[in-house]
Amino acid sequence: MGAVTDDEVIRKRLLIDGDGAGDDRRINVLLKSFTKWCNSTGSPEEGFTQYQRMLGTLAQCEFSMGKTLLVYDMNLREMENYEKIYTDIEQNITSAHDKISECKKEIQRAKRIRKNRQEYDALAKVIQQHPDRHETLKQLEALDKELQQLSHIKENVEDKLELRKKQFHVLLSTIQELQQTLESNNQKSVQ
Amino acid sequence: LQRKLRSIWSISLLILLSRYKDRHLHMSVFSQSFSPCGRFLAAGNNYGEIAVFSLSSALSPDATDLSQTPILTFTAHEGPVFSLFSTDSHLLSAGNGEISAWSWAELIKRNTKAAWTRRPNYKSSLEIPEINAMTVNPTENSLVIGGGDNNIHIMDLESGVFKSVLQGHTDYIHCLSVREREGEILSGGEDGAVRIWDHRTGQSVHCIEVYKYEECARPQYGKWISCLTTESDWMLCGGGPSLSLWHLRSMSPTSIFPLSGCQRQANFYQDMILSVGEGQCVSHCLLGGEVKAQIPCTPHSLNTLALNLNSTDNRVRVLTVGGSSHQIDVFTNLSYRTFSLSF
Repeated sequence: MGAVTDDEVIRKRLLIDGDGAGDDRRINVLLKSFTKWCNSTGSPEEGFTQYQRMLGTLAQCEFSMGKTLLVYDMNLREMENYEKIYTDIEQNITSAHDKISECKKEIQRAKRIRKNRQEYDALAKVIQQHPDRHETLKQLEALDKELQQLSHIKENVEDKLELRKKQFHVLLSTIQELQQTLESNNQKSVQ
Repeated sequence: LQRKLRSIWSISLLILLSRYKDRHLHMSVFSQSFSPCGRFLAAGNNYGEIAVFSLSSALSPDATDLSQTPILTFTAHEGPVFSLFSTDSHLLSAGNGEISAWSWAELIKRNTKAAWTRRPNYKSSLEIPEINAMTVNPTENSLVIGGGDNNIHIMDLESGVFKSVLQGHTDYIHCLSVREREGEILSGGEDGAVRIWDHRTGQSVHCIEVYKYEECARPQYGKWISCLTTESDWMLCGGGPSLSLWHLRSMSPTSIFPLSGCQRQANFYQDMILSVGEGQCVSHCLLGGEVKAQIPCTPHSLNTLALNLNSTDNRVRVLTVGGSSHQIDVFTNLSYRTFSLSF
């Protein structure tokens, strides 16, 4: 177990070697200067300057540590942001899919409606070619009336003809009778 | 002697090659049919061969040139295969006056043994009339065959017995259609008549002589009817006369389509009419009589048009057309030719 974590540590240290070299070196230098300062035999001013230098390096180390922590926080928040965007996009995709299938259904419905309309139009065209029913009925009625009138007139004329025929017949027969009587009278008078 | 043999061999090889080249040049695709699952297409040509193409592999994203060639080609009949029809399990092919049935499952496994072969009872045994059209009447489960002997033969699919013969045409029959709801069979023939038969009584209920209608007739082409299709109360017919849409209840033509050339096959599709015939294009027409579009394709003259509506898989819902070429055009989108399958 210890070996695994050691490996991981080594791997991590190698991975962040870019910046870590500077920090790592700084910490090592700090430690070395600390031990040197502890074992120093020089003047107190030198010791003080070394002390100040060490404080400086320590501050630098703290600063870089703070920076890395901030970057880490930022990365975490960026990750969250991306996760949110990812889920949003996924939702959009599914809703777009749904809309597409709805639209497809709509198109099918519209095509059917269009087809029905076209069939209706085609039939209407044919029907229009035939004359209007009302018109034809009216024409038929008018013709009927005319027919009736004409037959009336015909009847009247025929009646008149009959009457005239009879009257002429009567006239002719009276003339004939008169002729006959005149002839018989003439014959009697001659005798 | 060796030199002679070698020269004979090279000459015969040349002849074979040229014959193969010529074969493709003179090939015409006359019929097509999709498998019941919708993933395969069978096409029949004038040499009597049937080729089975795998549509799913030709349409898959990793398709190669090889997937546009048939997975199986075999000689089905001695004469041209003018008509193909698929039932739920079998592919029926008509050629040389006989009908053969091939099981789709066997064809997919590249087994080319026919399930059965039958021949209608022709009056004269001397001349074998060709079979130009075949369709199935689903209510009676019978196969309706129209042929060169001017008659329509009806065969029961289960028993294989030829039940009846419908006589009335005076010349050979080009095309057939079935109106399931009314139980009627429609046939169009070389004599220019579209006859409507009642399948129960076997009598001709109506006879429409399309060429006698002034608006449809094109005397310069002739009076024959080569394409016929019906949908509920409407019928499309064409050939010598112009392609026209008829309302069957009133037996009157409602729209005439101004397509030059004789149409050989037409289909109703959604709110449009798709039609192919003489002319290097697929015509899209509206029911009112306008030609909406004419989509160019490879063969110079088209004989057959097929729509794959069997499968629910949207990828294989294609339109395929074949004609006087060894190539069959595939349209995944009706507006343009996507690619061509090669016989």
